[in-house]
Amino acid sequence: MTAVHADIDALRGLHDALVRYRHAQREVAASADGQLRATRAALEAKASALRVQVALGQAEYAACLDRAAQADPDEPVDCSGYARAVATNGERLEQIQRWQQRIEAEAAEFAGIAGRFGALLAEDLPRLEDHLTAIIASLEAARRVQGAS
Amino acid sequence: MTSRPEQDGDQQLRLLADAWDAAGEHWRDGPARQFGEGPLASALQDSRTYLEALRKLMDLLEAADRETEG
Repeated sequence: MTAVHADIDALRGLHDALVRYRHAQREVAASADGQLRATRAALEAKASALRVQVALGQAEYAACLDRAAQADPDEPVDCSGYARAVATNGERLEQIQRWQQRIEAEAAEFAGIAGRFGALLAEDLPRLEDHLTAIIASLEAARRVQGAS
Repeated sequence: MTSRPEQDGDQQLRLLADAWDAAGEHWRDGPARQFGEGPLASALQDSRTYLEALRKLMDLLEAADRETEG
């Protein structure tokens, strides 16, 4: 009896594996979306903090330049530290913005592939599962007829 | 960055391929061949394409995190 139904059992196993695969890959896709969102948010938070630092630094540098302009020529005011801080933070901000652009470009390319994979999970795999279910039902019906004759 | 989702996806892909191999030991008729060479092969290939693209994207996200630290 086991040998007679081995193909049906194998098909049931494959059907169950397909269902598990579909659910597991949906979690994979959701996790990927989550990690993309998290990285975008982290980069935006860093960029936002740096924009504040750059603005503050520029204000401090401008104030320093005012003090320097009004200072006694014998006691000059050194603003180079403010200038360096503004430049450093500006470069870091530009670096983050370049990463943001790279990620958006890559994410746009990925979206097409992810969309096709989403369709596979939402439409194609359920259709395969249904197809297997129909084959199993057909084999079971054939076995019943064979068993009755 | 926590676990890499494409690694979980790769593992699931292997499990499905194993299930297909196991089924193939008992299901070897014409419909089996059509199923394996047609829609299943296509689904597995689409999955591999997705997981490879996901690996590239996750590499980029990790690099962005690393390079913008501090």
